[in-house]
Amino acid sequence: MKNWWKYLSVALLLYVIVVSLNTPLGPGLTAVSPENLNTGENSEIKVIGYNTHFRNNPPDMQHPGVWLESDGFHLTCNNVEVIDDQELHFSVEVPDELPSKSLHVFVSYDEGTFMLPNAFRAEQSVKNDQLKNEAPESFSGSVTAFYFPNREILRESIRNLMFHVPMWFTMMLLMTISVVYSIKYLSGLNPDHDLIARQAVNVGLLFGILGLLTGSLWARFTWGQWWVSDTKLNGAAITTLIYFAYTILRGSINEEQNKARVAAVYNVFAYVILIVLLMVLPRLTDSLHPGNGGNPAFSSYDLDNALRTVFYPAVLGWMGISLWILQLRNRTERIKQQIENA
Amino acid sequence: MLIREIGVLIRKEFDLEIRNKVAIGGILLYVVTTVFLCYLSFRELQDTTVWNTLFWVILLFSALNTISKSFQTESRYRLLYLYTLVSPAAVILSKMIYNILLMGITALVTLLFYSLFLGTSPLEGANAGMYLVALLLGCAGFAGIFTMIAAIAAKTGNQLGIMAILGFPLILPLLLTLIGLSGIALRGLPWEYGTTELLILTGLNILIAALSYILFPYLWRE
Amino acid sequence: MKTLLFLILALLYSYDSFAGGIETSMHAAGKMNVTLGVIAIIFIGIVVYLFLIDRKITRLEKEIKERQS
Repeated sequence: MKNWWKYLSVALLLYVIVVSLNTPLGPGLTAVSPENLNTGENSEIKVIGYNTHFRNNPPDMQHPGVWLESDGFHLTCNNVEVIDDQELHFSVEVPDELPSKSLHVFVSYDEGTFMLPNAFRAEQSVKNDQLKNEAPESFSGSVTAFYFPNREILRESIRNLMFHVPMWFTMMLLMTISVVYSIKYLSGLNPDHDLIARQAVNVGLLFGILGLLTGSLWARFTWGQWWVSDTKLNGAAITTLIYFAYTILRGSINEEQNKARVAAVYNVFAYVILIVLLMVLPRLTDSLHPGNGGNPAFSSYDLDNALRTVFYPAVLGWMGISLWILQLRNRTERIKQQIENA
Repeated sequence: MLIREIGVLIRKEFDLEIRNKVAIGGILLYVVTTVFLCYLSFRELQDTTVWNTLFWVILLFSALNTISKSFQTESRYRLLYLYTLVSPAAVILSKMIYNILLMGITALVTLLFYSLFLGTSPLEGANAGMYLVALLLGCAGFAGIFTMIAAIAAKTGNQLGIMAILGFPLILPLLLTLIGLSGIALRGLPWEYGTTELLILTGLNILIAALSYILFPYLWRE
Repeated sequence: MKTLLFLILALLYSYDSFAGGIETSMHAAGKMNVTLGVIAIIFIGIVVYLFLIDRKITRLEKEIKERQS
């Protein structure tokens, strides 16, 4: 079993694809209508859920509990009517005074308590910060099924975590391999080390481009734009630029030994500054990515357990595949050199 | 030993520069023309952020222009001759120090013409000490990175084009931190607000010098 | 190569006219299609890369054959 790691990474990726596409998304609320509430009036409201089972209720309750919240002030809703597992109707009396113009909606039933933040806007409300009351009784949920968290904006596309994010991990792994071999080349001038460094950059660029393309698609349908000015995104773009520059530098030197040495020097120089850049950049700008304020996406600190069991194998699997591709390129390149030298 | 070699090499650079007055005149003319061009396009800049960013961008391009010739003027044989006399580390460090001085002069001239043409209003009420430190650290950083990149690009045919491609992505952490620090200085805030930026800039400058010191000898091992 | 270029242009053009369609389909079914799109991009990217390696190896094989004969 010389190639055990190839089989392992294929098995890991197979597991990742099957599990990440089969695991259902947890319940969540997706929409309400109407979205504007008139104060001082009784409004009829419809709430749409996703993967919810509104008909399952604890034995002592006939309806899910529904309430609105606005900065610590809770409004209990009446006449809750379950249309089907995904749809609820209810009515609510909105007072003239509210602590804030935006209201969140909560639905609490057998599966747990779910919220849609800023679901409503109150028209012509008088601002009153003093209003506060206790939250109604909520259920923590009796269902312990294995599912991915249902996040605002992300929804099913949370599965991209297993495909888009490992691209960056893989790229950085390959660039690190490249630098290690560049240093080795500079200390021993072994042409084979230069060959590995060059091929690692080449494969790393493939994963960098895939990361940019997939990130762009994902950003378009979550944040609304193909490209958003974001620390991680800009860092990734600069990394790709630096390594494209590396290939161009190689292309513009003719003499083989000279080329290898100059490219290795640039590689080490650029890599160190790149690492500094990736550490400095987040301090200077805000990020839409995890861990930065006001972000609806998952944060790396509360990466859900269900996501974690698939995410780590995904990273290892993609890294394994990239090393396999790198090995193929190295072998091809060595054969080419043998032919040329023969 | 190293320090004496560096001193001699810097003297040599100065002598060459003074003998060839066209080069330094070219740099000054470049700066003045660019600033004048910006003046004609913008007339006057009231917005401090734009004023600050544009200044650093102009300085970035003049740094590229100034430093790109630092290895071009040396013929291959003269360099080889130099290596038999002094250590490669002395060559790169002397070039770096000389370029820092050159950049300092360029930056001051740029600042003079820039504020003359595009308005001094952002400079009023600024933390002048911090702004000057930002300028100094900026010149050192630009000179450091571009000197090393120039040494790399000198090995290729297309010096200026390659330098821009190689250098701009690498100059970015420096540029962003500089714009941040000088922005803080222009708003007249006290020193505590710029501690992070000052630390990053100082660290980066030391890192660049150390990297060049280690890597440059490999560039010349023929 | 020409076919590929044509395909890309056709795709871009069709995106323009069906942009509304893509928009709704991407947001439908809880944005599941975004995940599928991402997987498709990665799959196509890696397959194209493999084709390029394949072409390189074919060229080498040809060269070996020529040298032997």
